[in-house]
Amino acid sequence: MTVLNERERPKKPLSPWKPKKTSAQKAVAFPGVKSLNGRWGYLYVAPFVIMFAVFGLAPVIYSVYISFFQWDPLGSSTFTGLRNFNLLLHDSDLWLALRNTFSIWALSTFPQMVMAIGLANILRNTRLRGKSFFRTILLVPNITSVIAITIVFSQLFGRDFGIINLLLEGLGLNHHIDFIEGVIPSHIQIATMITWRWIGYNTLIFLASMLAIPNELYESSSVDGATKWQQFRYVTLPQLKNTITFVLVVGTIGGLQVFAEPQQLAADGGSSKQFLTLTLFLFNQAFVNNKYGYAAAIGIFITFIVLIISAVNFVITRKISNDGTR
Amino acid sequence: MRNKIITKFSARALVASVASIAIVAGVFTTPAKAADPVTIRIWTFGDVIQRNLVAEYKALHPEVTLEIKKSDLDPLNGTNMVTACSAKNGPDVVATEVSYSGYWRSYPKCFQDLRQMKTTGEPSTGIPAGQTASDIQKNYLPWRWQQGVGFDGSVIGIPTDVGGLEVAYRIDLFKKAGLPTDREAVAKLWPTWDAFIATGQKYISKLSAANKKAGVGFIDNAGTIYAAIMNQGTAKYYSNDGTETGKLIYSTNPQVKLAWNTTIKATNAGIGTRIGQYTSDWNIGMNKGTFATILAPAWMMDYIKAQAPDTAGKWDIASIPGGGGNQGGTQLGIPSYAQNKQAAYDFLTWYLAPAQQLKVFKTYGLFPSASVLYNDPALIGYKDPFFNNAPVGKIYAAGVQKLKPIFEGKLQRAIDTAIGAGLGRVAAKKQTADKSWAQVLNDLKKVVNN
Repeated sequence: MTVLNERERPKKPLSPWKPKKTSAQKAVAFPGVKSLNGRWGYLYVAPFVIMFAVFGLAPVIYSVYISFFQWDPLGSSTFTGLRNFNLLLHDSDLWLALRNTFSIWALSTFPQMVMAIGLANILRNTRLRGKSFFRTILLVPNITSVIAITIVFSQLFGRDFGIINLLLEGLGLNHHIDFIEGVIPSHIQIATMITWRWIGYNTLIFLASMLAIPNELYESSSVDGATKWQQFRYVTLPQLKNTITFVLVVGTIGGLQVFAEPQQLAADGGSSKQFLTLTLFLFNQAFVNNKYGYAAAIGIFITFIVLIISAVNFVITRKISNDGTR
Repeated sequence: MRNKIITKFSARALVASVASIAIVAGVFTTPAKAADPVTIRIWTFGDVIQRNLVAEYKALHPEVTLEIKKSDLDPLNGTNMVTACSAKNGPDVVATEVSYSGYWRSYPKCFQDLRQMKTTGEPSTGIPAGQTASDIQKNYLPWRWQQGVGFDGSVIGIPTDVGGLEVAYRIDLFKKAGLPTDREAVAKLWPTWDAFIATGQKYISKLSAANKKAGVGFIDNAGTIYAAIMNQGTAKYYSNDGTETGKLIYSTNPQVKLAWNTTIKATNAGIGTRIGQYTSDWNIGMNKGTFATILAPAWMMDYIKAQAPDTAGKWDIASIPGGGGNQGGTQLGIPSYAQNKQAAYDFLTWYLAPAQQLKVFKTYGLFPSASVLYNDPALIGYKDPFFNNAPVGKIYAAGVQKLKPIFEGKLQRAIDTAIGAGLGRVAAKKQTADKSWAQVLNDLKKVVNN
């Protein structure tokens, strides 16, 4: 251990990220924080940082770079400045894709959440038999291939011979609904697929946080004469606030990434692009139309949308947690 | 302590056994075949590379391992190739669907020019040594061969099958509607597309009210007429002006307008069921007789057999209106950075040789692109009992020989997609034909400019 004299001691506290290079100072690069005196910390974080830099950061930077070009990965590329962004903002398909994405998101998130909370409430019931069976089977849709799901659901939703249309006919509906060509019907079909796939996962999350609610709350409320519904409304739901926010955030991220379901229904997003989502729009521009630079610009646009939504989420989450502490 | 001994012992045993295996392997394999083991990596999709033939090739060449990677999402095979080509790393053989031909012909640098490769030769299977792609070109259908030629004339792919396109029709339903059922007479009903539409209207007029309400139609999907007519021309969306990509002519080519107008006419005449192909409704409709005709490439015959086995003998094949047709097909090529080009080329030339194409046709129904077979009695005489013993070999061979080479450009796929969507909007009655065409032009402007 080298002891520094007054003259050598740095005047400002050193930033932990920029240790000075003299050997004398190296030994106590982080005065007072003994464990950081070596550089081992860097080694520990290196795997993540390197992986993130190579597979996360570098592609992002590269995308930003190629968004300023008419980019041809195999031929010559020309710098076009902000042309891609200018074209994009005037492209009606972008706004169509934005509308579709949010419509599908809303149709898949909110009904799903209500159903997941309901299912979790049933599974929470102590008198239910075969609890672990149901809890396990809930995850089966989640591990099913999206392609397989789409095949099955497009049979269910088939216009001429689909079961759903036959059921609706039985209920007295005169015309078969074309679930592919209509705007809202196609969104309902896609949202149903997403709901079916994710409802089990969300149910388990709700169930876990329901099981964490102290039993005393229920006991005391039943002493006060609360009915089952009142217990649910005034005990369970308020306790789930944070979980609901979590599920909403995760659902929003997933909702902005909806790709395989519409792609499998019709690769171009429908004849009038009625279910073209943002990611499908990006994919088709890059890999069908070979507009890589344009697609990169769409990617950046999606990033901004995500940033805005994250900010909104952040505000809401903070508000809720503040309410909780009150 | 005990553990240590065991590990020591097992490590020694392992070394010994590995060494003995190596010795045994060395002793017994070296004299048997002088060739070094080689792995050919193949990127493909669907059933382009058939299992039976792979087994056959392995028996011929025990030293060769075929490592086959299939992609399930249609555009992905092409996308992976773009990545592989820009990274100069990837497979030894790659399958390219014809709808990507236009794209890849602009980038011949991504492929080995097969005119510069020479076969090692394989006397047992009748493949002589020293054959370049130029030498074997005469075996193949000329326009189909052109789909694997780059803009600079280099050969970047050799064709596997050719789709062909003829009309598969239901004999029983034709009879019920009072139409002739004999395939020659049926073909005479529709020398032109207009006559085909007229026949469809006649068929529709005989339908019962209940059938009409249930959405029964003459053809499965009138939109399929568009691609059929486009392939009967001499140009699609590009003209060859000697440049890398060609010149865009989609807005001026009369063939585009003819195909569009005829398809719209068929759609508005109500002869189609509006069922999308390859949907569950389509499969069910095929069984139920919801439609009486399908424009069927040769490979679709297998699909019909699989999806509607109960309709065996009720189908027949008649020539397509307008003369000849094609839908689909694939080329096999060797990327320019492949590591085992010679082995890959030997495999490729064997796999695509007429003898093998004939086997594929007989077992899987993929129609050979090797036109030398079109005089072969084994092909010409082939009759399919499922299709009422129609001489399918003869019918498809006659059809594919009527087509002419078409210059394909980079954005062909995207243009096809935009026009297909436009036809879909009219069929779904979302837009009038004029409005839809205006939107197609608008969409295409974006496809070309953005």
